[in-house]
Amino acid sequence: MKATRVFQLTALALVVVSAVQVGWWLFDQHVYTVEKVAAARTAYAEQAAAAQALLDSGATPQQLLPGIVVAGGKATLAPELTAALTTEEQRRSRQYAWEGSFFLLALAACIAVIARALRAEAHVREQQDSFLALVSHQFKTPLASLQLSLETMALRAPSPEAARPLIERMLADLARMEQMVTQILESARLERGRVDLKPEPLQLAGAVQRVLAQLEERAQSERITITSDIAPALTVVSDPLALDVVVRNVLENALAAVKSAGGGHITLCARATGREVELQVADSGVGFAAAEGARLFHKFSRLRGSTHYGTGLGLYIVRRLMEMADGRVSARSDGPGKGASVHLTWPAAAEVSALPPAASAESRRA
Amino acid sequence: MSAAAPQVLVVEDDPHLAAGVAENLRAEGYQVSMAPDGELALTWLAQNGCALIILDVMLPGADGLSVCRALRARGDTTPVLFLTARGDPADRVRGLEAGGDDYLAKPFHLQEFLLRVRAILRRWDWYRSASATSATAVLRFGGNEVDFRAFRARAWNGEAQELTEKEAMILKVLAEHAGQIVSREDLLERVWGYDVFPSTRTVDNFILRLRKRFERDQANPRHFLTVWGVGYRFLVEGEP
Repeated sequence: MKATRVFQLTALALVVVSAVQVGWWLFDQHVYTVEKVAAARTAYAEQAAAAQALLDSGATPQQLLPGIVVAGGKATLAPELTAALTTEEQRRSRQYAWEGSFFLLALAACIAVIARALRAEAHVREQQDSFLALVSHQFKTPLASLQLSLETMALRAPSPEAARPLIERMLADLARMEQMVTQILESARLERGRVDLKPEPLQLAGAVQRVLAQLEERAQSERITITSDIAPALTVVSDPLALDVVVRNVLENALAAVKSAGGGHITLCARATGREVELQVADSGVGFAAAEGARLFHKFSRLRGSTHYGTGLGLYIVRRLMEMADGRVSARSDGPGKGASVHLTWPAAAEVSALPPAASAESRRA
Repeated sequence: MSAAAPQVLVVEDDPHLAAGVAENLRAEGYQVSMAPDGELALTWLAQNGCALIILDVMLPGADGLSVCRALRARGDTTPVLFLTARGDPADRVRGLEAGGDDYLAKPFHLQEFLLRVRAILRRWDWYRSASATSATAVLRFGGNEVDFRAFRARAWNGEAQELTEKEAMILKVLAEHAGQIVSREDLLERVWGYDVFPSTRTVDNFILRLRKRFERDQANPRHFLTVWGVGYRFLVEGEP
């Protein structure tokens, strides 16, 4: 890694030096040509002057100096000679301009390519570093709690009854770390685009019901009532696993928000809007400040004042999966303590948009 | 430990860690209050006093460092023990610069944590009892007047000075041993405890700050004298 970087930087330096060299060389050549042509003109002029002197003294200069034309007692340079000089000067100038700009352009392109690669690499490294820093920070808290509980048991040798809350806390810390590992792997796969989604028409109500069945017990023990009113006719286009993960993460988030508020309710409802289906998950939980709405879906973001053990990855995974499924997700809240709602929008399956409005109203009632 | 159980405030957003820390502190005989974030901690501290604050650095909202700075800015000198997931030396120094007394990286050892809590409280017990009487609460030297209880001073030129708790503690140690040589290591041990700072250079920096506050000519100090290779000597009368 380090050797590669040294090579890249050396190559960049070489190309930059080459570009400067080429520029200098062209300038030097240009100056040289101008000097040479000027010298040639001076030499010709001197020859013409010498021929004039000879002519004035009565000699026959044609034999002495070729290229000198004598007409009417005046010695002048042959016009083709000066013309040739001018042509030669122009030809060389053009050559330098064309070749020089070509080389310089090519070298500039090389510099741009190398610099871009170097910058991209630095960006990736920076992202990896901050990801690692965040991940290690996220792990250190449950680790610290686990170590503290174990050392408390070792130091204080508590009775079995006194030990029970400690053991429960340790198990919860382990579960938290396991969930974190799963979510980190999931988000890493999402990031690299290694997730192969197979969208198909799915019944929304059924998918939501399956997740609800698994969370029911937990909701009851935390004094949370969940009501769901989703028309069975509503179908969305999504990968079945992705749909499950999205609904589960959003619901777990809502459960945590309501639990922090000391209990309450979560309401799910869905409606078809044109070619889309929107699922709304509203809760009476802790809510959040309006400004935090967008930040919620960023990686590792956690709500301030949150007492929930979130990894800060759940809603990030939701957003990524929704984006990949051509869907959208947003969160709204009237402020801290005023509950919140999450809106998930998928493309509707073709047959749903074809349903007459009366039919969907009918099924909703049923 | 004094007769009344010292009150400790635990500011930690992770409920498990907060509960674990609180239970252990209670088992050691401290009274414990808890705050899940910095703002609640500052509100609580505005109405209640405590002997020590256990402060997590990564808190939702205002982080621990700014909470500590806010406390110091409003003149609260309650000792602070930082808990943090980031334990590299730069973060350590940042924490202490923010006015913290000690710094412990997560995950930490319970015994070490309890030891450090005890050490901080002991140092403050010493400082308070050493400044308890009217004779020991005020130090006068070379036209300067230092009030150890209020952390305030008036310099020889009439300028009012606000001392940080570390400056006051160093001055207290030096004043207790006026005329004697105090080594840098002794100062570190008495004022900070142990391996908190990476070097004894820190002590030198604090002495420079004290000289700046109280010496008429910083280049030729008459009260805070350097004893080359050993440490410092404080003279109340001033070197002739």
